[in-house]
Amino acid sequence: MVEIHPFWDERKLLVFVALIIVAAGIAVIEIDAAKHGRQSAIDVVVSAVYTPAQTGLTRVVNAVTTSVNDVLHSGQYATENQALQDKVDRLAAANERLQTDAAENRELRRLLEMKQTLPGDALVADVVGYVPEATRREVTIDRGSRDGVHRDSVVVGGEGLVGHVLSTGPHEARVLLLIDPQSAVPAYLQRSRTWGIVTGTWLHAKMKYIDQNARLQQGETVVTGHGEIYPSGIVIGRVREIDRKDNALYQTAVLEPAVDFRSLVHVLVYTSQ
Amino acid sequence: MNVELARMLPPRVLFGPQRPVDTGVGSPPRFTTLLLLAALAVLLQVTFGQAWTLRGAHISLMTVLVVWTGLRCGPTTGGWLGLLGGVLEDALGGGGANVLALTIVGFLSGLLSSRFFADSLTAVVASVAGGTIARNAITYAVLEVAYGDRGSYHRIAHATAWEVVLNCAFSALVVLALRWWSDRRPAGA
Repeated sequence: MVEIHPFWDERKLLVFVALIIVAAGIAVIEIDAAKHGRQSAIDVVVSAVYTPAQTGLTRVVNAVTTSVNDVLHSGQYATENQALQDKVDRLAAANERLQTDAAENRELRRLLEMKQTLPGDALVADVVGYVPEATRREVTIDRGSRDGVHRDSVVVGGEGLVGHVLSTGPHEARVLLLIDPQSAVPAYLQRSRTWGIVTGTWLHAKMKYIDQNARLQQGETVVTGHGEIYPSGIVIGRVREIDRKDNALYQTAVLEPAVDFRSLVHVLVYTSQ
Repeated sequence: MNVELARMLPPRVLFGPQRPVDTGVGSPPRFTTLLLLAALAVLLQVTFGQAWTLRGAHISLMTVLVVWTGLRCGPTTGGWLGLLGGVLEDALGGGGANVLALTIVGFLSGLLSSRFFADSLTAVVASVAGGTIARNAITYAVLEVAYGDRGSYHRIAHATAWEVVLNCAFSALVVLALRWWSDRRPAGA
């Protein structure tokens, strides 16, 4: 005899009703908990099991994904790394240029301030060369007679006196530096108003013929006195050492020049006095 | 004891035979296996569901599993798996809508098991589509009735449309994979 399975028989209906009752009961519990903003007992138990599993699974998948990405994109990373390295190099070079420009800007600003404090016309010149042998302390600047530069024109830097022009060509001029032994600049000590002559010692300068009775102090500022070539009041340097002998007629002071002659780039040349 | 009466008594009536009814070729999976699969499906959904979205919808692995279980094992197994899967989903943030929806979907899918083979691609895909729509309709009803969430129709309808596409595609892949696996196994295994 063939058994007939109806679509809905009693057994299925019973199962369906039982399932709906259980499901509806759980749904009511869940809805009630959700409406009151709390977790039901079922939520607490399931969350306690699932949260660590979720955390572990996420970590594992993230680790695998990261590793796979690293392997897949290693070529791209190498290219990007190279591009970034090139960019760093370019930026470093640009930064270097900017720092150089900033230093130059500061120097020019000091020259401008110096120009404003001294009388007469002046123009900016660049130091373009040094003497081939270390027999003299001279530099060559890129301004000459056609620019109005003439023999004995006073040359200053941002911090103080550089020297004066020895000779000029149409487009260049040779400048005798303050630290050359041939240089002789009338000067006085700013505080004590004691006069002397500043001359070079190759690396520094010294002030000679200072009155034996004058009371010198280390660090005292020395400025130019008004003379045939130099105007008054240009800073030369500061007293570093004092050489005073009781049986001498004069005392001598070793000076630290205000200008750093090892890094002369821009100077100011006075074309009129 | 009357054999028919013995069959009617709980728990066999409510929970079905110890091993789900075989409605297709081969042996159907054990209920514990299905339960583990359901737990895994929920874990994957709550962990990666937001990452696998298409126009605001994402694959409901649980719906596919419950529908397939119903088709493969009958209404009792489908209904119970839907209920337990729904409990898991609600406990992790469903708000009570999933347990009703999945239970009904699982049971109704099981009613089709006497009409279709569970390895029929058309039957599974169509059932999954119907199951997804039914499930979301019940969810919408619960939201409206229990929470007074007005205006959720358009949101749910839009998400349902894309979820049907995703679920059908996924279920088709699953059926094809199961067929391939079944063909590879030696006869009698």
